[in-house]
Amino acid sequence: MLLMQILLNGILLGGLYGLMALGMGLVWGVLNIVNLAHGAFIMMGGYAVYFLYTSAGIDPFAALPIAMLAMFLFGFAVQYGILNFIVRSALLNTLLITFGFDVVLTYVAQLLFSADLRTINPPYAGSNFGVLGLTVPVVRLGVFGVALGLALGLWLLLRMTRLGRAIRATAQNLIAARLYGVDPRLLYAVTFGLGAALAGAAGGLFGLVSQISPYVGATLTAKSFVIAIIGGLQNPLGAILGGIFIGIAEATSALYLSPTLVDVISFGLLVVILVTRPASSFRAA
Amino acid sequence: MNRLLTTSLALALAAATTPAFAQSDTITLGAAVQLSGANANTGRYYRDAYQFTIDKINEKGGIQVGGKTYKFALKLYDSQSNEDLGMRQYVQLITQDKVSFLLGPFSSGDAMKDTSMAEKYEMVMVQGGGAAREIFTRNYKFIFGTLPPADNYFASTIDMIQKLEPKAKTVALVAADDSFDVSVAKGTREILKKTSLELVADQQYRENNADFSSILTLVKSKSPDVILWSGHPQEGINFVRQQKSLDVNAKILTSMTVGVPTADFRTALGADANYVYGMTPWLPNPQLKDKWFGDAAQFAKAYQDKFGYAPDYHAASAAADVETFAYALPAAGSLDQAKVRDAIAKVDFQSLYSHVKFDEVGQVSIPQTVIQIQNGKVVDVYTDKVLNKPIYPVPPWNKR
Repeated sequence: MLLMQILLNGILLGGLYGLMALGMGLVWGVLNIVNLAHGAFIMMGGYAVYFLYTSAGIDPFAALPIAMLAMFLFGFAVQYGILNFIVRSALLNTLLITFGFDVVLTYVAQLLFSADLRTINPPYAGSNFGVLGLTVPVVRLGVFGVALGLALGLWLLLRMTRLGRAIRATAQNLIAARLYGVDPRLLYAVTFGLGAALAGAAGGLFGLVSQISPYVGATLTAKSFVIAIIGGLQNPLGAILGGIFIGIAEATSALYLSPTLVDVISFGLLVVILVTRPASSFRAA
Repeated sequence: MNRLLTTSLALALAAATTPAFAQSDTITLGAAVQLSGANANTGRYYRDAYQFTIDKINEKGGIQVGGKTYKFALKLYDSQSNEDLGMRQYVQLITQDKVSFLLGPFSSGDAMKDTSMAEKYEMVMVQGGGAAREIFTRNYKFIFGTLPPADNYFASTIDMIQKLEPKAKTVALVAADDSFDVSVAKGTREILKKTSLELVADQQYRENNADFSSILTLVKSKSPDVILWSGHPQEGINFVRQQKSLDVNAKILTSMTVGVPTADFRTALGADANYVYGMTPWLPNPQLKDKWFGDAAQFAKAYQDKFGYAPDYHAASAAADVETFAYALPAAGSLDQAKVRDAIAKVDFQSLYSHVKFDEVGQVSIPQTVIQIQNGKVVDVYTDKVLNKPIYPVPPWNKR
């Protein structure tokens, strides 16, 4: 029973982890940019939902689309106005500039919001129900559902729509895609915007189960990075699976090995996967 | 153009000479504090309280050392919640900036490292941010601390749960793996051994971990009477939220070493903060008289007015650190490190924080007052006797 509950905890948490990695994996796969500011985007989404809830009284789940739209526009602007200039340059350049973004966003957030810890705490935040002797936290279940829904949505978008096909085509073969009339600059901006929107959603949900401060970004970037690699960059549902995998690994290792090893486990898994998997599978969405 | 040049030259000259003048009569205290990063919300207490106390002492005429009047100045670095950076900044304070004496950082982990630098360069440090007993048991000569020993934090709480009805029988202990919390856990186990209380779960967690669901699930399966938790404030908020969402109840109470007295804890948790037990070595009590601030209540009010948030014991402890120098330096009659060190070892004064007197290893001994959040307010409930009526046992989540 104890193990079942712990597995459930891990799976529910893993869904959120997967959503965090989803946006990072998308951008990475299509643009070949490892966005080190991804965690900062998550943080921004968290603040957006926090203020929509506390100031405007909008339910956090209902506020998610608004935060996502805002983050999409932000991401679009960042890519179109700045990152497009370096998108085909060496990986180190994109790492540097996104790291710079991360630093700037973090400190701007501290200036604007101070280092206070904030939680998105609607009345139902702590409620739960029992099934077969297991305790299911309502919010975490909702978070899991939204994460799964967004991953499915992204999968459908990439498979079924013209936009999705254009994104995949660009990722697979830039020159061929251009010959068929795809404008990569615009497409990159849309993709980066999508990544930011997904980060925004993850941020709102993160605030519901945990807390937001200007400094949550760095750890979340690292986590997203690991999961994006484990889940692979080809398939959005892979990210969710990767998230669940890490969620379960963390939940069980905390109890059955040593809690101090939690980080060792996730990064250890990463090393194992990097060694055993062919590098070519990382590219292409 | 010419006039502009002369004016700016004159200004530059003035700027160059003034500090030199001031320097001869200034005692500069140096510190590297977390102004950004994960610990920024606690680090700010130290920044603000150091400056606030220094300004107050200067405003009241400074201090007399060896027949000469001195004012205090503060040289502060932002250690960005990075222990190694903080350590380098302390070396810089000592060797480059040549400050007179050192004040401490926040947290035992930082203090463990930074005190080693102070000791190495034989510069006195009075620090109010590191409570781990291990900081003081290394035979260092130049280090003093104004937080009570971490291993004793739960002593008053454990005393209380054995005296109040219903008496507790089983305890679950959850503590992080950093030096402060390891020290707390170690001390708590020792205290529990001397009682009839049974430790049914003893779990360590990774520092800065956001997720307690596994540990809480295990704790729930043991259904303990009392949950004792130790970690950082930000983790404590997660712990309480996840306790609620996984419906984990201690039959009698949950108590936390840190976080509970802070304003952040109450604003972030809202109604869920209610009933949580905690502890503090300090409350803004008007009976705590102070030479510069009048008393602790006046200090708290002036602090709140100036900085826009309420001080907790971190701020009071930081203020006491500055005051320790203000008492010890006149007594030493010199700025010589060894003489000042000896004078600090002998200080014995009443302050807004507490009665300050260091034990043989350089740490103060102040009892922890057990507190509880009742109706969104911090209420002191127990020291060695009941102060205000505690809500005991605490109602389970579904009855609130």
